[in-house]
Amino acid sequence: MRTDLIILMPEITLLVMTCVVLLVDAFSEDKFRKITYWITQLSLLLTICMVFYYSPDYSYLAFNGAFITDTMSVILKIVICGISIIVFFYSYEYLKESELLKGEYFVLGLFAVLGMMIMSSAYHLLSVYLGIELLSLSLYAMVAMHRKSKYSTEAAIKYFVLGALASGMLLYGISMIYGVTGSLQLTNIADAINNSAIEKIYLVYGMIFIIVGIAFKLGAAPFHMWLPDVYQGAPTSVTLFISSAPKIAAFAITVRVLVDGLFPLIDDWQSILSLLAILSMAIGNIIAIAQENIKRMLAYSTIAHVGYLFLGLIAGTPSGFAGSMFYVISYSLMTIGAFGMIILLGRFDLEAEKIEDFKGLIVRNSWFALIMLFLMFSMAGVPPFLGFWSKWFVIKELVDSGFFVLAVAAVFFSIIGAYYYLRIVKIMCFDKPDTMRAIKASQQMRTVLTINGLLILIIGLSPNTLMNLCLSAF
Amino acid sequence: MITLPEVLSLGTLLFCISVAGIFLNRKNIIILLMCIELMLLSVNINFIAFSYFLGDIHGQVFVFFILTVAAAESAIGLAILVVMFRSRDTINVSELDSMKG
Amino acid sequence: MVVAIKNPIHAALFLVLSFFSTAAIWLLLNAEFLAIALVLVYVGAVMVLFLFVIMMLDINVATLRQGFARYFPLGIIIAFFMVVAMGLIVSSDYFLSDIYSQGSISTIQSNTKLLGLAIYQDYLYHFEIAGAILLVAIIAAISLCLNKSKITKSTQPDVQVLAKKDDRLRVVKMKSEEKED
Repeated sequence: MRTDLIILMPEITLLVMTCVVLLVDAFSEDKFRKITYWITQLSLLLTICMVFYYSPDYSYLAFNGAFITDTMSVILKIVICGISIIVFFYSYEYLKESELLKGEYFVLGLFAVLGMMIMSSAYHLLSVYLGIELLSLSLYAMVAMHRKSKYSTEAAIKYFVLGALASGMLLYGISMIYGVTGSLQLTNIADAINNSAIEKIYLVYGMIFIIVGIAFKLGAAPFHMWLPDVYQGAPTSVTLFISSAPKIAAFAITVRVLVDGLFPLIDDWQSILSLLAILSMAIGNIIAIAQENIKRMLAYSTIAHVGYLFLGLIAGTPSGFAGSMFYVISYSLMTIGAFGMIILLGRFDLEAEKIEDFKGLIVRNSWFALIMLFLMFSMAGVPPFLGFWSKWFVIKELVDSGFFVLAVAAVFFSIIGAYYYLRIVKIMCFDKPDTMRAIKASQQMRTVLTINGLLILIIGLSPNTLMNLCLSAF
Repeated sequence: MITLPEVLSLGTLLFCISVAGIFLNRKNIIILLMCIELMLLSVNINFIAFSYFLGDIHGQVFVFFILTVAAAESAIGLAILVVMFRSRDTINVSELDSMKG
Repeated sequence: MVVAIKNPIHAALFLVLSFFSTAAIWLLLNAEFLAIALVLVYVGAVMVLFLFVIMMLDINVATLRQGFARYFPLGIIIAFFMVVAMGLIVSSDYFLSDIYSQGSISTIQSNTKLLGLAIYQDYLYHFEIAGAILLVAIIAAISLCLNKSKITKSTQPDVQVLAKKDDRLRVVKMKSEEKED
């Protein structure tokens, strides 16, 4: 019991600090919101240190196999907390500008991070479910936070209804798996499937519902309809949050459930995931071309990226899973960079939501135009940026495992996808700007955004470090 | 004596009714929220049935947690609903088209 | 009925009915504690909350039903196929086999005691997470619905006690008026 609690230390730290933030916020005046913000950042940093400090050398199961710490969970937790720090940084600037600054934003955000950490070390179907719910309940509230806005509440209700539907599907699947295997813990489930003569159709029946639930949460086509509306309707700071870290956590539970729990069914989930992947890549990349609103465009690009993410899982080898992990980490780095640019360019009176707002950015501020160029090239998959390597690893694994048709489709759709990223670059570099308004942003914002952009270039120049890290997780 | 397939069929039927309700109800969000409750109820029936016929308490524990979470979920759902009603004076789904879908 | 009825209040009451009947089924399946909890929590709290919101929002019932018929035939067909397909799987004879005939859990100990032991020993971790989820629900509901308007008429005792004579009473020096005559 004692060792179990020590293993759980990072989560306990985060929960305690969240309560501290809540109390501090409740008893402080509006003008001291800065304190809430800094304590939030501090607690995330502290959690990262805790994860480092308590990282075990081997994988360890705690609480009767409900909780696991291994290399994968440690890496993912550190990445989740790191990304959340950057996200809170951007959102603070945005919220200050748009007068939405409320302490609840940070409290709910921290709870969401806690949910993601629980998800990334869940080894029991109940932990999976509770982690997802903790994450999504916080996110629903954060989307609805901008109470005056028509769009924001509409996005929140859509997100809520479809999210609840997804949880229902997931639960139904879990109940069938429980009924057939008689267990909820993932190792026991795998043992039960291997050892006893269970008719496969009942397992597949449950698994289909679980995959549908997870696909809803990740936003894979054909379960993607909530994604563009939520991205557009939510305040940009929340969109930034939804689009980045939760995807990493959702990836974690996908790997845990499908690979650790249901690996004997690999043939079946490979074919389902291939279908989802092709549909996601097609719908995401093709519809994105028609979008005028950049937040919607990034939403469709997310759908496409989720499709690529599945490719590594379909390969079904440890290096394929590592490729997917590399993909999801690099995707979230790129996407927060892109939304950071939107926040930087936008102001409360004029959000940079239309693609035209990027017109002639190179004249207005050449440095940030360069950063945006990095981001867009990276998303399109142009070497030597990070996005190229993530696509490369995933597709390479796919070819190695013999899925040639899928690999060709992936390359084909990424060429289509490159069009709309490059369109932004074209608008940015060759069109005349409408205004010559200088970009005013705080020094910190500029610094962090620059670091974000350069990180993509630097990791892109030496992708093997991160890749080896990901490989060590499997 | 109840048999397992009977209970499971009941769960499935409730599940399908609630999914159909979510897709059919283009008008009223409150009924959508009720459909979600119904869906969780059907899942709970499944769990309790398996728990009884497997002779295993863990299914019941899962139901306990689902009940907790569902209560929290409906509270948040209703809160969002109230906020929406205040900001636009309707809870009609078909008027939710201010964003191009 | 919950799905197809016109009046949301009636729908909510039908939902209560289905909760009651489910609780009865759970009693038959030896889940006494959860059956009672379902009635207390759902019928007692959640459904009252639903009814409260329905009445508070004061929805115009008449306009709510248009458009249902448009999706109805297609929906019914799809739902029918879903029911048949899923029903074939769950009602198969597989679920009558020996694994599922172990009968009740244990009739020696009470259901509540067993459940409590499981929750507080094996599922301690999940219990804590559930606590966090409820806290999130409280924070979210309050922060979404609280109107921070300054029109409350509550008294502020500290201000009242600390009020000095000078705050309320203004002594005005005036020239005494001359007698007119």
